[in-house]
Amino acid sequence: MASIVIRGRGALGGVAEGPALISRRTITGWGGIDVHTGRVKEPGHPLEGMRLKGSVLILEGSRGSNGWSIFFHAAQVAGFGPAALVFPHLDSRTAVTAAVLNVPMVTDLEDDPFDIISVGDRVRVDGDRGEITLIGGSGDGGCRCR
Amino acid sequence: MELTDTQKAILDGEGGRAPQKAMALIVRYAGVLGAERLCRVTWADLFCGAHHYLDVAVSDDFDRIFSTMALCTTQAARLEKMNRGCICYSGVEVDCTELPGHMLAGPNRQVQNLAMLRRFVDAGVVLSGTCVPYLLGFIPVAGEHFVSCESSAVLFLNSLWGACGNGDGIEASFCAAVCGYTPLWGLHLPENRRATHLVAVRSRPESVHDWDVLGHALGRQLPPMAVPVLTGDFARPDAIRLKAFFASLACTAGTEICHLEGITPEAGSIDQALGGNPEQGRIIVSDRDTAESVDGLNGNPRGPIDYISLGCPHYHIDELRRIAAFLDGRRIHPDTVVHVWTAGPFKYMADRCGYTETIENAGARVLTGSCPSTRGYPSGVRTAAYDSAKQRLSAAQETDAQLYYGSLDQCLQTAISGTWEGH
Repeated sequence: MASIVIRGRGALGGVAEGPALISRRTITGWGGIDVHTGRVKEPGHPLEGMRLKGSVLILEGSRGSNGWSIFFHAAQVAGFGPAALVFPHLDSRTAVTAAVLNVPMVTDLEDDPFDIISVGDRVRVDGDRGEITLIGGSGDGGCRCR
Repeated sequence: MELTDTQKAILDGEGGRAPQKAMALIVRYAGVLGAERLCRVTWADLFCGAHHYLDVAVSDDFDRIFSTMALCTTQAARLEKMNRGCICYSGVEVDCTELPGHMLAGPNRQVQNLAMLRRFVDAGVVLSGTCVPYLLGFIPVAGEHFVSCESSAVLFLNSLWGACGNGDGIEASFCAAVCGYTPLWGLHLPENRRATHLVAVRSRPESVHDWDVLGHALGRQLPPMAVPVLTGDFARPDAIRLKAFFASLACTAGTEICHLEGITPEAGSIDQALGGNPEQGRIIVSDRDTAESVDGLNGNPRGPIDYISLGCPHYHIDELRRIAAFLDGRRIHPDTVVHVWTAGPFKYMADRCGYTETIENAGARVLTGSCPSTRGYPSGVRTAAYDSAKQRLSAAQETDAQLYYGSLDQCLQTAISGTWEGH
């Protein structure tokens, strides 16, 4: 399939790709991430049981405690961090998370990624050009989220 | 990005390695936000101690843990002092003062926690041990810039006092406290503090519980990043009601500032709250919305209760007075453990007033410094009840117990009978 490009602002440079871990419903940081496995453990969340490691994490925003960034950060320190981040609109908690993880990150998107990208799709994040590219659907990219 | 000579000097390492690393993170954070400048931070409410997520650093060395987890650097930097001119609180801690080590994961954790707290004290941090710093001397005045790791405190301080702070996160709060600056962005700028959504409150909240429920019912409807201004025919809420309201609103919607017409300082009128901007939306909170919130938080019928945790956010002394008045001469059910959480200075007052003795004679414990969310739950708990939506929501992430939610009176009656009677 042809690749689809969504443009935005590159907030942290570099290029990375991986399977999309995407949800319009954000994850609660405090208690929502198992830092020792990098898995989403929020009960009933669409991404429950899936792993952050190597993923392109695409979330609408943050939720709950100010202890949001530290859970993604702790998972990264344990070796289970995401490869890249996409937050369509920034709030202070998502911005701290990006600054702390220091992986390629794009924000201020021109199109709604939640209408275009599905869980497991292969996605490239180019933080230098401010672009995210849908390389292939889950059939091509292979869902490695579980 | 524009840095002053002072800020550049810190970034160049003239203030030492820890401030240098802290400033590097703050500058990167500002870059992510697209902020053009930094602002001076004079109050920092931190999150100190051996919290469980620090285990990933796999080290017993304070400076290595602090460098990795707070300063976000792989090079160990020794924490000497927090920034001069920034008053620092430890925040709610991982262990409680009255039952130390009781629910921590082994004796090593307790030793590590005390050693870490000692280093923070040496660096100039006050051991506040509370999630309600704003009731205990943490007083950034209107227009002053603060950081806080406590979402409900951010909402309270912005909304009620007109102080300026964002949600940030634990790492950015530490870095701001070490280097003395944070990005001038978001609620640090007056133009971002104006109301975006008009909220018509039709549920006529009166009690603390009504306001706690209202926070959840409104939070479920608010879009991300919205700044609500509340209007409606309700009795003027006091700080204790607003404490509950802000806690449940913050944890449900992530709201960081909320105006109330005629009550909060930036909302003398709706026009003032909007600041000349058009409203982006209107929200109505009806009795039906609040009833749905209560049902959603408490779908459980009658049943025995193993554990009741009260005091989220930590109780004010007047709430302790009320509990003591209820429990005076009564006896808590032997199969129900009741913990009443407050801040150390309020417990001191309660001790002097005899409230602690009355509450503990009835069979409950008055505890300070922590809460079940940060220190864990007693073992063997199958059913637990709360008077706080925040605590109820947080518990769902941390325990498999069946969870109940109701007013303080309902929780106290349950404490006596040992059985939740439904709502």
